Amino acid sequence: MGGTTTPVLWVVTLLAFAISGWRFWLLFRPLLSARPAHRTDRLGERLRGVIGDIGLHRRLLRFTYSGVLHALIFSGFLVLFTAIIEAFGSGLFPGFSLHVIGGDTWIALLQNIFSILIIVGLVMAAYQRFVVKPLRFQGSNQYDATVIYVLVLAIVLTMLLEAAARMAILAEPSPWRPLSSLGMYLLVGLNITGDRAIVAEHVFYWAHIAAILGFLIYIPGSKHRHMFTAAPNIFFRPLTPKGQLPPPQQTEESAPEIVTEYRDFTWKDLLDTLSCTECGRCQSVCPAYAGGKPLSPKKLIMNLRDGMLTDQGLLDSPDHAMPIVGGVIAPETLWSCTTCRACMEVCPVHIEHVPKIVKLRRSMIEQGTIEPLLQSTLTNFQSQGNSFGKPPKQRARWTKDLSYKIKDARKEPVDILWFVGDFASFDERAQKLTVQVGELLALAGVDVGILYDGERNSGNDIRRVGDEGLFELLATHNIEQLRDCQFNRIMTTDPHSLNALKSEYPAFGAKYEVVHYSQLFLELIKEGKLKVEPSAGATVTYHDPCYLGRYNGGFDAPRELIETMGHTLKEMPRNRENSFCCGAGGGRIFMEDNPTGERPSENRIHEALGLGGVSYFVVSCPKDVVMYTAAIQAVGAEDKIAVRDLAELISESVVVPTEVATHDNA
Amino acid sequence: MRALIFVEHSNGVVSENAFEMLLLAKSIGAECHGLICTGDAGAAQALGTQLTGFDAVSAVADPTVGHYNPEAVLIALKAAVETQAPDVVMTSYSTAGVDLAAGLAVRSERPMLGYVTDLELNSGGLSATSQVYGGKLTAKTDLPLPAVTTVMPGARKAGSLSGAAPAVTMLKPDLSGARTRVREIITPDNSSGVNLGNADMIFCVGRALGGTEKLPLAEALAAALKAELAGSRPVIDAGWLPKIRQVGKSGTKVKPKLYLMAGVSGAPEHLEGMESSELIIAINSDEQAPIFRKAHYGTACDMFQLIPALTERLNSGNS
Amino acid sequence: MHIAVILRLNPVLTDELELTEGGKDIDREWIGFELNPMDDQALEQSVLLKEAHGAKVTAIAAEAEGGERLLRTALARGVDDVLLISNKKDDDAPPPSSRARTPLLVEAIKQVKPDLVITGILSTDDLYGELAPQLAACLNWPQASAVSDVRLDGMVLTVRQEYAGGMAALIEMDLPAVIGLQTAASPPRYVAGSKLRDLLNTKVPEMEASAEFAEDLSEATTLNLPDTSGGAEMIEGDAKSVAARIHEILMERGLV
Repeated sequence: MGGTTTPVLWVVTLLAFAISGWRFWLLFRPLLSARPAHRTDRLGERLRGVIGDIGLHRRLLRFTYSGVLHALIFSGFLVLFTAIIEAFGSGLFPGFSLHVIGGDTWIALLQNIFSILIIVGLVMAAYQRFVVKPLRFQGSNQYDATVIYVLVLAIVLTMLLEAAARMAILAEPSPWRPLSSLGMYLLVGLNITGDRAIVAEHVFYWAHIAAILGFLIYIPGSKHRHMFTAAPNIFFRPLTPKGQLPPPQQTEESAPEIVTEYRDFTWKDLLDTLSCTECGRCQSVCPAYAGGKPLSPKKLIMNLRDGMLTDQGLLDSPDHAMPIVGGVIAPETLWSCTTCRACMEVCPVHIEHVPKIVKLRRSMIEQGTIEPLLQSTLTNFQSQGNSFGKPPKQRARWTKDLSYKIKDARKEPVDILWFVGDFASFDERAQKLTVQVGELLALAGVDVGILYDGERNSGNDIRRVGDEGLFELLATHNIEQLRDCQFNRIMTTDPHSLNALKSEYPAFGAKYEVVHYSQLFLELIKEGKLKVEPSAGATVTYHDPCYLGRYNGGFDAPRELIETMGHTLKEMPRNRENSFCCGAGGGRIFMEDNPTGERPSENRIHEALGLGGVSYFVVSCPKDVVMYTAAIQAVGAEDKIAVRDLAELISESVVVPTEVATHDNA
Repeated sequence: MRALIFVEHSNGVVSENAFEMLLLAKSIGAECHGLICTGDAGAAQALGTQLTGFDAVSAVADPTVGHYNPEAVLIALKAAVETQAPDVVMTSYSTAGVDLAAGLAVRSERPMLGYVTDLELNSGGLSATSQVYGGKLTAKTDLPLPAVTTVMPGARKAGSLSGAAPAVTMLKPDLSGARTRVREIITPDNSSGVNLGNADMIFCVGRALGGTEKLPLAEALAAALKAELAGSRPVIDAGWLPKIRQVGKSGTKVKPKLYLMAGVSGAPEHLEGMESSELIIAINSDEQAPIFRKAHYGTACDMFQLIPALTERLNSGNS
Repeated sequence: MHIAVILRLNPVLTDELELTEGGKDIDREWIGFELNPMDDQALEQSVLLKEAHGAKVTAIAAEAEGGERLLRTALARGVDDVLLISNKKDDDAPPPSSRARTPLLVEAIKQVKPDLVITGILSTDDLYGELAPQLAACLNWPQASAVSDVRLDGMVLTVRQEYAGGMAALIEMDLPAVIGLQTAASPPRYVAGSKLRDLLNTKVPEMEASAEFAEDLSEATTLNLPDTSGGAEMIEGDAKSVAARIHEILMERGLV
């Protein structure tokens, strides 16, 4: 290299960097005026996450085909980076060469091998996008993806051909460059050798440079900017408990700030939108999307991004700031979310969809734009502390059906404080199970008490609906009640209450050891306090409730219980972290449920029916009992499958000691 | 025993409620006086001729009360009560009845009892049956006399009593002090072509509908039935359906062959508008809902499952 | 312009009602209470008038229990001031009727000196007379009930009064006046919990009324659960079978 190459390359390179840099600046400028997010703690853990999810493709490989093709292209790019260094190094600094460390030997061989891998990856990607057309790509930018495929292919081919042309000058192939050598034979066959090959080498060199710089200029506007943003986005991911939503940021006045414009988001929220790869994994696992609701987590993030990039007012006058709710995102979209967290769990770049939805819901709640049924339910919470609008005194009415008087934990110390929850207390079908749980606890001799009319809804779903003030009112009430009680652990059958007590209340300085009844009953059985005789055994399937499983990692106890009862567990395809929400979470159960398509709960029942020969659909959440009983009726499968709560399974298999039995008969 | 019945009228026709109250008053053996308030003597005479069965009729003819004026009519009613000293004053449970009865009770220092569905004689006075808590409970009250009552429309089946209409005596109370003026009379907008009053089939939805999102479900069933879609007051107030589609006290009174209703609890104000329907079928998840006492058939089935199921059934059955 | 809005708590009627022994009252032990839905409309209309005309709104209640909460909610909804009338009734006696409360409310109104009083047209336990006409009679102010639209122009008030059959009239009244509101111009708004939380420790001003409760007929009243015999023939079953039965009934009668 030499002559005019160096100055020209300097000019075009600097120009390309300037253009690309300017384009990046335009993108990232809004982050500077956004709110702070404190994401610089626990650096080691953050780094490990980056290594796991980028280096090892941990999340990407959950979608095997896509994960593999991404790994091929990704690793290829890392290796090809050496070629880019060589190309620019030699052009910008005459004399520079990787030759000394093996640029013409082993590095060249690697480049050749990984070029093949990239091309294989590209073919797989193109096949998937243009032939298989998975639904998750619906709404993604196909043109952008195509441009990227072409640019990447161009970079690889020009690199190979440049080396081929160089070898063609003397028609000397290199064993280190098998692929380029093949190209050389092709060129030589076309009589491109000697001087003509020198020209060809130049042409391919500049084509290579053009492809790379073109890529560089193109990339800020492309979803492929994730090459740069994925790592920081994963690095700055939230490390707070999954079940803890970020509280609204307090301003100097007492009123918490709500998100109405982009500047009200944190910089991490905005970085999220710039990191989205439009891969649609979130969309493919979203229960709202599956049920035909106007929400795709992918489109939500893309629309937020596009809205931000067209928002000219962000840095200028506040009057020009674009309203997000109603402007960029429709209220119905935000109300559709069940906060099941499946999107966040599957996102390869750790985008935080749910907190953004909740932040925007908060702004709707503050402004009073809220659908009628949700309004009346929230009014019930405000006046009575539960969604049913029943007076607090009725909360413990179910205890009338218990064979004993359960302790009032406010009046005497107990070992286990049972936080019953709204559905378990008030819903007729769930009440029966609540009584069964109470009887089982007595049978195991557990020293248990409840808060009676002192309990209020835990506020978990109210927080997710976006009514932060109401959540605080309920939480502080419950915390005050609990403060006056003596107990060792809190037990609940309701995963939503579990999540609030375990993950949300600590933010108010209230820390408890909280267990789900599945865990407590497993302990009681293992300790021999509750004797069970495995039944004849049915083939059953088990549904992981979002707030027990995905949020709080309670996957194993329910499964162990099912097996201890002698049943055969047949897993649904979507299980554990990949469980499919019943559709009731995030306050959805308080809102209108207009049938827009197959309800998530019905979709799930079909999944269970698809297993074949499963007689029980086992659940471990009072809301699931209600949701799936209705879903089985709706799909008309009453004769094929039945909902069973864990408590029912245990009750069916439990051994009632004879003295208790005679006592009952007396 | 003397009863003074406040006679309402519109477009020159005496309201049915006046005759219902007449029959109720006669059933306790009362001598029945009617009071008409209207704009001129001619109109008073014309209305008076309709009041067959009344024992006496007096009228206030004054432009101030040419249309119902809450304050001026109360002055007139109080004047009539002072001259006639009735044992029981009866107004219908209507807008005017709400305005007048309680006001009169305070001004004439009489006890007052509302939502009356029946009266019986007992020692020392009357025993009155009322509806309370939106029709969920009945109340029996020993009513000392003299008293003021509002009577639920439909307390008795209206039917004219034979006999001549009594002559109309004119009263001339001083209405000049009224601080209330009627500025404009508004008749319902019928331009939409909706006429619930003439409809053979009506499908009425109530508050439990929850919002406009569910309207398509209701519309589909109405279409399958070839019925007019109607709503109860909360549905109209919330703006889910236009006012012209309201059935009930402040809406339209209907008498269809079929009145199918979903999510309507059956407050007395609603029942008043539809209880003469030939066949009433009610869907309501609250088995204690008062509507089930008026309906011929009822079900506590979830309306959001039943409505589509019935629509499907009708559509497949009709095709 | 100063508006007083009178608010009452009512039992939630979606639940089953039970009676106390002797039937003198409903069993209040297990039922919930809510702002009377018509008073809710009145509250909304008052705040709408405040927003449109810059009026000052004072909410008044005379509840023995839950009055403070009720009035804090009113503050959150946008009223400027509240006044709770302390209620001297016996613990076990049922809450006084609208008729019984009228003298206490009149005293409070005379203290607050509003130009306009708005309350709900009725509450479902108004057996001894609705509140608005009684207040007007005691104050000797003009009154209109069944109102669905309220407009202010100086000291002249124009309301839309609703009648049977969809008829209505625009009625003009000199202030001060009393309105029994049926429907506000827009449905009651939602108040975010944050506003309630911020008002949690707000002191609600109370007044001791010197007036006594008025007499009503409550001593003479006995409540009964209605006779359910002769009611609807109930159709049981799931949606499909109920739909089939209804279809059958309609066919029998030649309606479809």
